[in-house]
Amino acid sequence: MPRPSRWMIRCSFVYLFLGILMGAMMLIHKAYFIHSAIWMLLPIHIEVTIFGWIIQLTLGTAYYMLPRFLEGPSRGDSRLAYVMIASLNLGIIFVIADSLLSFALPFDLIGRIFELTAVGLFVKLHWNRITTYRTS
Amino acid sequence: MPFVSRTFVKAGMVYFVLSLIAGLLLEIDAVSLPALMPLFWHMLMVGWITQIIFGVSIWMFPGRNREEGFVNQKWGWLTLILLNSGLVLRLIAEPALGYSEAQIWSVLLVGSAVLQVAGGTTYLIEMWPRIMSKKQQRKKRKRRRES
Repeated sequence: MPRPSRWMIRCSFVYLFLGILMGAMMLIHKAYFIHSAIWMLLPIHIEVTIFGWIIQLTLGTAYYMLPRFLEGPSRGDSRLAYVMIASLNLGIIFVIADSLLSFALPFDLIGRIFELTAVGLFVKLHWNRITTYRTS
Repeated sequence: MPFVSRTFVKAGMVYFVLSLIAGLLLEIDAVSLPALMPLFWHMLMVGWITQIIFGVSIWMFPGRNREEGFVNQKWGWLTLILLNSGLVLRLIAEPALGYSEAQIWSVLLVGSAVLQVAGGTTYLIEMWPRIMSKKQQRKKRKRRRES
């Protein structure tokens, strides 16, 4: 398993655990009152589980499993893969920060731009890997 | 495909159908069930998507123990049991809490939360050490052969 995939999959595992913990806290709050601010966790729970866990795991696994190039670097320019990882995770952090605190800058918008950049890089890295090795 | 993965995928398919039935009910104005919206989303995202990811990753990621049986696949089986019992408890307790204030539903809901956290934890115990490079994989195989 290449290093960018290992990083993405491990990050996704961390987000999975955080997402489950937040979900569990909100579920317990439905049964026994914990704190009125607990529902602030809902948008973070959604962001963490969808982008942090599901999307990050699928991108990391695709980078590992999709057909590789027969010539040159087998998975393309690995520097782009690291930028993709940084961009996706910065995006998630910015969106979460916007849910928690109020900033003068639109952190949610900046976060979504980072996430879009990551997805764009993912498409660029993988487009030509969607192929078959068969010649006929 | 190991038995535990097959069970994950089949359980996931059941939740997929149930979630779409819940989605259908949400669109019918005459039907009003408590907590239907969160149940729809959790059957879809936990019951179906997360569960199919768990099943397929346990099968496809490197470093799998190819021996069948509960002991050899204990973390996978524990994940399946804990996650599904947690989800089923939620499907029962959350709507019930909307109808009745009996203490039992609150306790079951807390139980559901604890079981799902435990299920996520056992999955990570199984999978975290399996995220490794080819070199680490070769070393692990060599160590296994030597012992």
